[in-house]
Amino acid sequence: MSDPVPLRTDAVQVASATPPAPGRSRRLSDRGLAVAFISPALLLLLAMSVFPLLWALYLSFTDYSATRGGPAHFIGFGNYTAILKSAQVHQRALTTLIYVVGAVGLQTVLGFAIAYLISRRTHGRGLLTTLFLVPMMLSPVVVGLFWRFMLDAQFGVINSMLGSLGLGQVEWLTRQRTALISLIVVDTWQWTPFIMLIALAGLTAVPKYLYEAASIDRASEWFRFRTITLPLVWPLLLIAVLFRAIEAFRLFDLVYILTSGGPGVSTETLSFHVYKVAFLGFNTGTASAYGILMVLVVIVLTQLYLRYLNKLKEG
Amino acid sequence: MRYPQRMGRISVSGRKVLLATAAMLLVTTTVAACGDGQDDGAKASAPKAPAAIPELTKDPLTLSFIWFDWPPAHALEAFANAEYKKERPNATIKVNTVPNANWHDAMFTQFAARKTDFDIAILDSQHIGEAVTNGNILDITDFVKNNIDVKAYNPYLLAAYGQFPQAETGKRDENASLYGLPLLGDTWTMIYRKDLIGDKPPQTWDQMISVAERCQADNPGVSGLAFHQANGSDAAAVTYNTVNGVYGGNLWDAKTRKIEGVLNDAAGQEAMDVLVNKMKPLTAKGSGNWFIDEVNAAVAQGKACIAFNWIAASGGLLDPKQSTLGTTREQILDKLGFATLPSQKTNLVPLGGMGMHVSAYSSTANQAEALNFMKWFERADIQKKWAAAGGVPSRTDALESPEFLNAGPFNQVYTDSVPRMRDMWNVPEYARLVDIENTNVNAALNGAKKPKDALDDIAKEQQGVLDSSSRKGGGGL
Repeated sequence: MSDPVPLRTDAVQVASATPPAPGRSRRLSDRGLAVAFISPALLLLLAMSVFPLLWALYLSFTDYSATRGGPAHFIGFGNYTAILKSAQVHQRALTTLIYVVGAVGLQTVLGFAIAYLISRRTHGRGLLTTLFLVPMMLSPVVVGLFWRFMLDAQFGVINSMLGSLGLGQVEWLTRQRTALISLIVVDTWQWTPFIMLIALAGLTAVPKYLYEAASIDRASEWFRFRTITLPLVWPLLLIAVLFRAIEAFRLFDLVYILTSGGPGVSTETLSFHVYKVAFLGFNTGTASAYGILMVLVVIVLTQLYLRYLNKLKEG
Repeated sequence: MRYPQRMGRISVSGRKVLLATAAMLLVTTTVAACGDGQDDGAKASAPKAPAAIPELTKDPLTLSFIWFDWPPAHALEAFANAEYKKERPNATIKVNTVPNANWHDAMFTQFAARKTDFDIAILDSQHIGEAVTNGNILDITDFVKNNIDVKAYNPYLLAAYGQFPQAETGKRDENASLYGLPLLGDTWTMIYRKDLIGDKPPQTWDQMISVAERCQADNPGVSGLAFHQANGSDAAAVTYNTVNGVYGGNLWDAKTRKIEGVLNDAAGQEAMDVLVNKMKPLTAKGSGNWFIDEVNAAVAQGKACIAFNWIAASGGLLDPKQSTLGTTREQILDKLGFATLPSQKTNLVPLGGMGMHVSAYSSTANQAEALNFMKWFERADIQKKWAAAGGVPSRTDALESPEFLNAGPFNQVYTDSVPRMRDMWNVPEYARLVDIENTNVNAALNGAKKPKDALDDIAKEQQGVLDSSSRKGGGGL
């Protein structure tokens, strides 16, 4: 009778002595393999994001023009001070602020309300959610074009409907106030579903037992909403607001298609103005500084906002 | 257990290696991106085209143009492929088109990259200064001297589509350099409803306004006037410049480069007042963003008594499929009349149209083909064929030919308008000057600014652009 244990040990020893599977180079270590896999993505990131950002930062301190060519002369903070002092920039900043507050505020209220109503339904929730998401899936240019036709004062369907109700024609896109309101309404039509989706996720995650406990205590509907639903969904909703605010802050496409910044410059946002500086006069240095300042504003505001969110979480 | 350990946190030396690799990649990318940056300065002025056409290739070749999307662009491609191929069977003509609002950007962003996917840029006459000073197009002065019969043209037409620095209105400086040749002439035509205001068009601007006023009052649902008011492209700016010219105003003093005090002088103020307070109330509600297509739509649907539009864009008005004015071309022409613009203190009309300009970044073979095409296109017989195909030629013999005059009811208007034309500035700062004017005129037309304030703002801001060359920072604001 032989002892089986040493035999098993021998077998393991034999197995561990087996050379690595053929086809895998001995020189390519695990780390090398990792680097090889990461390099294309890293290279792409450097070429498409990091380099342009650093290059724009460099150009922002020069008077460089892409079409005029010639060397870029260093002018220090000249572009930055000119932008910060410019009355034109202040006007566009105010327009952008009104737009961001109006559009994101409206989208938050509507998005949350729709999500709340959908969350209370037991049947057809999936279908309703999918239908509400359709506008978000369309290209902003397409959205802009068909709203432009719909809002046309002479031939548009909106004024036609108003007319059939006995109301007068409204110049949606060619009057100072209505043009900005139109932009807010169109953006709200397209992006309310985004807020709705996030809010719906938050509402679905609220533990049922909290409502059950509240029901046992005979808490009113409003009380349950105020003390259970809203506090639990609020942090998630704020993140959705953050995303939308950043998006709205750099609005370009809808303005370009719907109003071209008009009447006059009354609906010109900061992004639209940067486009004009960059591509009408090809003042690349100024446009770079303008873009960098916009990024800085977003970063600073986002940091403040995130701190508030963290405090909220800790609380 | 070996594997997870190796894939854990990267060691300090490993991180250094990764950081060094990233930095190296960044430097490599930077160097690659700036590779041809050194010769930027060397290309500060337009390179010269050869005086004679170099030997042409026998290999298949595509000659590419860039233009904006409108009927003449499609007509050019069809015409050139049908006719030019008879002489150069190996050449194919491709007219690339972009939306009108992106036209300038599409050309000049490629110029900025020092690489173009077009051989011939169809520039607006006002783009010439920007392209010449940046060295984007060829100087064809010697080529024109040797290959083109310059006496066959109205001197101002030849100057407007090719000369830089800009010629004085109505003239051509024979010592100045040429950078392009005419492709498509154009100006505004007055389109009027013969069935509503009579066969005879109004002769003066004031008369035109009172006729439009009466027509609007007599025909509910039909507006007295329709014209360009949008703040994209050069829409509202051309409208103001036209009224400015008719009322004796000037856009600037070219010699002293003065705009402030010239544009907003008494004549300029009167023109703005006429436009905003007399003409605008006669337009349809919500027409503050109308451009070429919207004006044509209003005319075709019978919603305007008198309209103004570019001749080259007016062909569709005679198409019964697009019109409610009649089921045949003849029925439409019974109702629509086309006339030269009314005069007032002067008889100036806006110069439209575009010229052909050879890209400095095109290959030598394609540049040679482009020059050959331009020489061919400016021949007397080809200009007449272009006229018959729906184009607006520039040679005087073609303009007076039956081929042109019988091709459209508005062609006589163009021929009669040629001696009356005035252009805007063709300085390198054109894109910014026209944007300032466009946005401010649009603001005045839509009640966002008072007319006087708008005009004063235009003059002040445009002067700022012309004077800003020595400013350190903030250029373009």
